[in-house]
Amino acid sequence: MKIGVFVCHCGSNIAGTVDVAGVAQAAKNFPEVAFATDLLYSCSEPGQEAIVQAVQEHDLDGVVVAACTPRMHEPTFRRAVERAGLNRYMFEMANIREHCSWVGKDKDANTRKASDLVLQAVEKLRFDRPLQAKSFDINKRVLVVGGGVAGIQAALDCADGGLEVVLLEKTSTIGGKMAKLDKTFPTVDCSSCILGPKMVDVSMHPNITLYAYAELESVEGYVGNFEVSVKKKATYVDWDKCTGCGLCMEKCPSKKAYDAFNEGIAPTRAINIPFPQAIPKRAVIDPTYCRQFIKGKCGVCAKVCPTEAIDYEMQDSFVQEKVGAVITATGYDLFDYRKYGEYGGGRYPDVITSMQYERLLNASGPTGGHIQRPSDGREPKKVVFIQCVGSRDKSVDRPYCSGFCCMYTAKQTILTKDHIPDSQSYVFYMDIRAPGKMYDEFTRRAMEEYGAQYIRGRVSQVYPYKDSLIVRGVDTLLGSQVEIEADLVVLAVGAEASRGASELAEKLRISYDAYGFYMESHPKLRPVETNTAGVYLAGACQGSKDIPASVGQGSAAAAKVLALFSKDQLESDPQVALVSQARCVGCGKCVQTCPFGAIQLAEDRAGNPKAEVIETVCQGCGLCTVTCPQSAIQLQHFTDNQILAEVNALCQQAMEESFES
Amino acid sequence: MSAGNGRELRIVGFLCNWCSYGGADTAGVSRLGQPTDLRIIRLPCTGRMDPLFMFKALLSGADGVLVSGCHPRDCHYSEGNFYARRRLELAKRLLPTLGFDSGRFEYTWVSASEGKRWQQVVTAFTEQIHTLGPGPKFSH
Amino acid sequence: MKYVAELKAKIREKLPELDVVIGWKQGFDPVHASPAFMTTPEEIEQLVVNPLCVQNLATYLPGLKGKKVGIVARECDTRSIGELLQESLIEREELTVFSVKCPGAVDLVKLRQQVGDLGRVRSISFDGPRVTVETPDESSSLDLGELLPGKCRVMAYDEPVLADFRFVDPDQDTVCREEADTDLVALEQMDLDERFAYWRGHLDRCIRCYACRNVCPMCVCQDQCIADTRDPHWLSAETDVRQKWMFQLIHAMHLAGRCTECGECERACPMDIPILTIRRKLNREIHELFGYTSGMDVDAVPPLLTFQPEEKSITEREW
Repeated sequence: MKIGVFVCHCGSNIAGTVDVAGVAQAAKNFPEVAFATDLLYSCSEPGQEAIVQAVQEHDLDGVVVAACTPRMHEPTFRRAVERAGLNRYMFEMANIREHCSWVGKDKDANTRKASDLVLQAVEKLRFDRPLQAKSFDINKRVLVVGGGVAGIQAALDCADGGLEVVLLEKTSTIGGKMAKLDKTFPTVDCSSCILGPKMVDVSMHPNITLYAYAELESVEGYVGNFEVSVKKKATYVDWDKCTGCGLCMEKCPSKKAYDAFNEGIAPTRAINIPFPQAIPKRAVIDPTYCRQFIKGKCGVCAKVCPTEAIDYEMQDSFVQEKVGAVITATGYDLFDYRKYGEYGGGRYPDVITSMQYERLLNASGPTGGHIQRPSDGREPKKVVFIQCVGSRDKSVDRPYCSGFCCMYTAKQTILTKDHIPDSQSYVFYMDIRAPGKMYDEFTRRAMEEYGAQYIRGRVSQVYPYKDSLIVRGVDTLLGSQVEIEADLVVLAVGAEASRGASELAEKLRISYDAYGFYMESHPKLRPVETNTAGVYLAGACQGSKDIPASVGQGSAAAAKVLALFSKDQLESDPQVALVSQARCVGCGKCVQTCPFGAIQLAEDRAGNPKAEVIETVCQGCGLCTVTCPQSAIQLQHFTDNQILAEVNALCQQAMEESFES
Repeated sequence: MSAGNGRELRIVGFLCNWCSYGGADTAGVSRLGQPTDLRIIRLPCTGRMDPLFMFKALLSGADGVLVSGCHPRDCHYSEGNFYARRRLELAKRLLPTLGFDSGRFEYTWVSASEGKRWQQVVTAFTEQIHTLGPGPKFSH
Repeated sequence: MKYVAELKAKIREKLPELDVVIGWKQGFDPVHASPAFMTTPEEIEQLVVNPLCVQNLATYLPGLKGKKVGIVARECDTRSIGELLQESLIEREELTVFSVKCPGAVDLVKLRQQVGDLGRVRSISFDGPRVTVETPDESSSLDLGELLPGKCRVMAYDEPVLADFRFVDPDQDTVCREEADTDLVALEQMDLDERFAYWRGHLDRCIRCYACRNVCPMCVCQDQCIADTRDPHWLSAETDVRQKWMFQLIHAMHLAGRCTECGECERACPMDIPILTIRRKLNREIHELFGYTSGMDVDAVPPLLTFQPEEKSITEREW
């Protein structure tokens, strides 16, 4: 075998703390290395060209590139070696940047380490074998989980692109958080006026199957061929019969049900349609409030329903769907405003969240768009807004900036002035974060045209005084304490990962960060992909973001799915398990442990049971290889011999030293 | 930032590609300094981690072995780390009987986002191995 | 044993339905019994059951898969059969178990320590707990309890895991007993350096004959053991203690959660290396971790072929 080694400077990223030329020089003495050199930027066009040329000039059989992490550029270099005429799997990377030059300061130690890592890669490469991908058919349907604006956009774009879409929404209507908003920044256009038509498009689109009030129960399979089970939660209303006339809601005697859509600022009926523009416009019974469920008698809705749609006996049901890709657009939830005891959220009725305030501002909200204090219905004249409630605060484990609160607070001060011209808004803020198109101008308008008073500082306490609230805080620009007598206090609550996000991630086998936001495959270059092929991200499930960014990601995820489905077949990763028929004794332990059902027992010609890998189902985890006592099933490209070679390469030096001592 | 004074010890790490290898990358991108003793072998999953690789490394002269994968329930392959946890815990418990300090081998979970945790793990484990000193030697 | 006549009669009765019945017969000298593969009534007459019948005959079962096999088995042997069944390495319907109450066992190493060269033994006879050994020079009366192999001192079995027919003498006592595992206790009283030196010393004597593997009822890899191949290349032919040590670890780890502590590995070792101790340690840990004892429940799933999302007995390291 003739191996070529290319050690990358990565400008000064590696060369700054590793003697790159020295590593290349050392590599010349490694087993079967026929050529070694250093390159300034191996991933650049001239860098790749140098590799291709060296392969051809020196008739190399395999290539080691010592550079950044293989999670970054392994595909790049595999393509390069393929251009040079080699099989793309005759290639190994040594990670001498993320795992070496960037984390160690001692140049000698780093150089020794880099040299070891190159030897390790060379030793592994010696056992590399050419691998060929297999093609398999794909199912060109896509599942979108979450019917907020990001999911709606993704579903519509996919459907317009000709794909069949299954859209899942856990509440009884699509629309998500955006449907609750009154106006949107920085244009102050009506939220439901721009979202409503899209929601209607979803319901009318021939390519979209919508399951509302449904959740993802389980996911099996892999890119191109997922099988998902959808749990349709019992609504107690036959949606095929329900026309959304609303008569049941009107007559329902249970009038104290919690209204999630209105953020609990006013009660709703035990049977309800969340809002007039709901899609689908269908009623749902909340059994925690329904008298029929609590007391066993009532039945008013069943009596009044003109289509006899009420079914108190309804059970959860399950539907199976086959799809080739999944877009998760599960959005976010709001920080629990009760966690800051000093602000009095949850204790004082006139301390409310920004989303509750949206519902007060909204013409279709419970107050008909009249701003009224929850305590006495009085119109507030002085409104205090407190920003960063659950953002940028390590003490509540929310060190990140939610990114949109500065903007919606500015919007709410403008709307407050619009609704109550003789009102005064005060905003306690840490910094103003307005880095979008027309965003900073917008916050300026709130201050300059609408007279909102911005006070840079935190609030220490909110407490009741007569029939109003005293907000005590600090003005850090003046260096003085301030106290404001407020009629209403609005807490600008931050975003957090939606409840149940981690459970869903586990079903989809995608990663999430410490806060429950889903991990993209690369923070800059693969922002809507996940590390699980065929699963994509859209919207705030990946991290807090505003409407334009969510819509952009929805479209981006759709574009990724459309690109994935542009071919009729996908190539499977050939790094799968391979059975040595001679060595397999047919004990079936691998069949028992394989998480994918990718191994089955078949009979050889003599009738002996032998394990058999279904290559397109195997995901390449290697669990079977460790389970098999005689190592008859080997994960290709990560074989026992390859890992043993790496262990030996790394321990060789230590072993020699131990013999010396 | 060497944990010991002067001589490095040989620490072999086995990391799953999806979580801990990415976590080590994240630590690198964030320039979170670490001792230089560790050398990392990339595995697709800790389910691929045969405990015998650990024994092989220790018998071949490694002073410490570290395995790190996805947190339980976060396995890219659903179940690999669950099996790994059983196998590796058992192997760790056998070490003292053989005359190896069980502290020479640790297995843990670090996600791709936990660069800081990776730095802590590498630093603490390297210090632990330096406290134990070089592994038992076979030459007489 | 008084039940031997009854046992022979039952085997004669069942033999027409079976391809072979495995038992023991007198071996090449007075102190050895050999496995007997009985296919004719004449061969059944040679069957013996006494404390010299030390082989765990379950070892032969996987190789006879596909045949109708009868097996004479002591209580502890049925544990190995249970494990083989559990792993589907043999089929229950192909198997007829003639379960005998164990008459006790003689560890020939211990006998040699008592009476010297075993080649000089003219006869050996058993009467309850007494063992009488005749050599040209003398007649010794020994206590069977003193001659028991280590495995009979740490695990006691009153009943078989499974049996089709059961043979017990009236008033026959269980010979094996549950005492402290002195080998393991002694090892654990050493410090780490001493333990390392202990194994380095013992394992350096290993001649890599693989008798321990060949006799093991759970080593079902047959001719495909990874010790004998270069693909994968786990072991080299180098006569280095590391290679020997590695082989023992491969054997032990491949038996983890499966080893039934029958002790055949240690009995077969020509170098008297205490390799069962490693397996006993693993079994003890498996019991502590997973509450599992191999071979006792044919329907159980071996602990390393399954998992719990929350492992109650595993406390993971914090950093």
